[in-house]
Amino acid sequence: MTTATPALSPRRYFGWSTDHKVIGVQYLVTSFFFFLVGGAMAGMIRTQLLAPDSTLVSAEAFNRLSTNHGSVMLFLWILPVLAGLGNYLVPLQIGARDMAFPRLNALSFWLLVPAGLLMLASFFVGAAEAGWTAYVPLSISGPDGQTLWALSVILLGTSSMMGSINFVTTIFTMRAEGLTFWRLPLFSWSMLATSILVLTATPVLTAGLALIAMDRLVGTLFFSVPAGGDPILWQNLFWFYSHPAVYIMVLPAMGAISEIFPVFARKPVFGYRMIAVSSLAISLLGLTVWAHHMFTSGMDPRLRVPYMISTMIIAVPTGVKIFSWLATIWGGKIRLDTPMLFALGFISMFLIGGITGVFLAAIPVDLHVHDTYFVVAHLHFVLFGGSVSGAYAALYYWYPKITGRRFDERLGKVHFAANFIGTNLAYLPMFLAGLLGMPRRVVNYDPRFTELNQLASLGAFLLAVSVLPLLYNMIVSWVNGPKAGDNPWRARTLEWQGSSPPPVHNFDQPPVVTEGPYDYGEAEARSMMPSPAAAGD
Amino acid sequence: MKERTLLVVVLVTALLVVAGIWVAQNVNLMPAEASTRAALVDQLFRAMLGLAAVIFLLVEGLLLFSVLRFRQPRGDDGDALPVHGNRALEIVWTLIPALIVIVIGFYSFRVLAASEIREENPLVVNVRSRQFAWTFEYPGTSVISSDLHLPVGRQVRFLITSDDVIHSFWVPEFRVKRDATPGQMAELLVTPTREGTYPVRCAELCGVGHAAMGLSSRVIVESDEAFQAWLTQAAALPADPIEAGRTLFKRYGCPACHALADAGAAGVVGPALDSLADPNGPHAHAHGGMDIRALVEQSVLDPSAAIAPGFADGLMPKDFGTRIPANELAILVDYLVAQK
Repeated sequence: MTTATPALSPRRYFGWSTDHKVIGVQYLVTSFFFFLVGGAMAGMIRTQLLAPDSTLVSAEAFNRLSTNHGSVMLFLWILPVLAGLGNYLVPLQIGARDMAFPRLNALSFWLLVPAGLLMLASFFVGAAEAGWTAYVPLSISGPDGQTLWALSVILLGTSSMMGSINFVTTIFTMRAEGLTFWRLPLFSWSMLATSILVLTATPVLTAGLALIAMDRLVGTLFFSVPAGGDPILWQNLFWFYSHPAVYIMVLPAMGAISEIFPVFARKPVFGYRMIAVSSLAISLLGLTVWAHHMFTSGMDPRLRVPYMISTMIIAVPTGVKIFSWLATIWGGKIRLDTPMLFALGFISMFLIGGITGVFLAAIPVDLHVHDTYFVVAHLHFVLFGGSVSGAYAALYYWYPKITGRRFDERLGKVHFAANFIGTNLAYLPMFLAGLLGMPRRVVNYDPRFTELNQLASLGAFLLAVSVLPLLYNMIVSWVNGPKAGDNPWRARTLEWQGSSPPPVHNFDQPPVVTEGPYDYGEAEARSMMPSPAAAGD
Repeated sequence: MKERTLLVVVLVTALLVVAGIWVAQNVNLMPAEASTRAALVDQLFRAMLGLAAVIFLLVEGLLLFSVLRFRQPRGDDGDALPVHGNRALEIVWTLIPALIVIVIGFYSFRVLAASEIREENPLVVNVRSRQFAWTFEYPGTSVISSDLHLPVGRQVRFLITSDDVIHSFWVPEFRVKRDATPGQMAELLVTPTREGTYPVRCAELCGVGHAAMGLSSRVIVESDEAFQAWLTQAAALPADPIEAGRTLFKRYGCPACHALADAGAAGVVGPALDSLADPNGPHAHAHGGMDIRALVEQSVLDPSAAIAPGFADGLMPKDFGTRIPANELAILVDYLVAQK
């Protein structure tokens, strides 16, 4: 569509650019690289765990791998891949020319690169080995890589806060004429809810990491037990961010699949306002639950019950979303294209993560399963079955928007099948292992858990292989794929109303919005068209 | 039509309830139930599992049914009937989950309260943790053990702490864990109900020996007579010096990190201690002209003085000098250098 536009040469992706679309793609590609790195670490972990007394990986190397697997996957894959989608899509969805602060936007991306390299480079000086949770006092001793790890996460937190300031400002001030909040697409709603959460929670983690870094570098004693430091303080600072971080990592994925269901069921979103409001509810409630990670720690026992209640209540807005999605596809005209398959996969797997979250909130059950493989299974169903499925769904759904090309649908379906089977195979056995007594983060384990671990490893290897059709499809289709047309899915949100890929200025005339984003089955005449683009074709 | 819909809803609900009850009664995913708390937790867990099964089957069922039933026919490019919402339905699926979590929350609170009731005359056991071993002390006796012996049917009051980093004391068969935090004393109440031998795990990442720490200690729940007999026997050191040395080796938690065939120890965090005195053995390098007995004693008291090749400094606690009385240290060192 836009081959004639010189400004859209592929070279622009390799340098400083303030175009939100370029930055979005830079985020997506960079985070995908780190996804492969984190996945390689997971592969080594699961190979080690094929046998209970395997010595393939030393205990020290294992702790470094598991610590950095978690950190890379969360901070360098899921967070930035969602930030990339937000960058690319929010201005297009709200009819803006770019983000509110384009240079700040570029800076947030360019902080991600050195932060990621810093984390990987820490392997040369002895990588962090205290878990991604970096509990003190273990994280105060330990190799130099622990300091690099802390600095890297501080940079990533800063990048994330800058990005969020940008999203909030952009969504509040740059919506097109007629685009009221009740006409805002649900993905943009979710980015708004997420950004508010980032701005509230991330400074706390960043400050806590600064304390750790100072303890390690300049000899302060914030967390030194002999000097009167309190190890529980770190847990409060850490989880005040890191529990909301789960919602930061899952809300945009929920937003993405909320876009996909109406398009592939040809029906309006059921309960649009409830879905939008439930995102906000989840982010506000999400700030009140952090200490449920500390039921077994030295927290005041009287405080446990309020945290249990607030945690369980989050199941309510989450349930509202799931039932609204089901009602959206109920009675629809469903097409099972790859984005839809991944969105459906999101529901079916995230559901397991959500339900087991209530088990973990129930204090007496948590006192048994906390810090076991039950938690490992739960968090992977939420973050891999949920967030990553959502990210995959979004990548396939907006691929024609970003590239102007169609991907190979058969390869997409192969990827979906391998991913779906692999996820369940890898993580379902872990629930049982945890319940039966297997702690997390162990390099060796009781031989009674051998079969469960071998199943999990098999699933993990399938997941590793499942990335190949995705990679091949994304690269080859960008070069060779058939032209997609501007709106191949016949979607009604604003980002699909212009050309694909979009021209540099997004919209040549500011679009005017006169109806909701999901009015499928309503009057055929589109009143939400932007003024025709002059550039491009 | 409306009556038919109602009938289907009632029928599906009934089926789901039956499935939930079946799951709650028949699916057991837990290890042996070895404490009063375990029985309570398992009741709660099974009830939640039943509810979870209902919700899981309902959602996955609706999902599968929709995908199979509501497909776009070939050649049909049109949209489906626009339905934007249904207030009554939305209220129902907000209220019912809210009700469910309130019930679960209330039930959980009851179980929590019931499992933390104090009984009279509990047995107090001090749980001390360090990188990378558990030691259990029985106040009022001189007994220090790396295995936890408990009498069945009497409440135990664990007082848990750590000498270095955070560990977590977990007995899966008791269904409970408690973090051992340096600088704090945590309390945990457990009443064992079933005789047997169960693992003691470490559930909090504590360093390179974390996995080993969760595989090295056991809890032995036994009759009160057997427990008292063990306590008496454990308080005394055997007369035979080799047996006494073996006892001390285990009592001070050495097997968690060191391998020693005579003591059945297989720790991998520190060097293996077989054939220490053999001048041509694996430890020949360390002798360096030093008397082997002096070297072993020095390595216990000041582990950093000589580091075996392939092992890092700082892994071994440096306070054994204050914890092991001089007479016991002599027995332990004699025992170690006697290993062929």
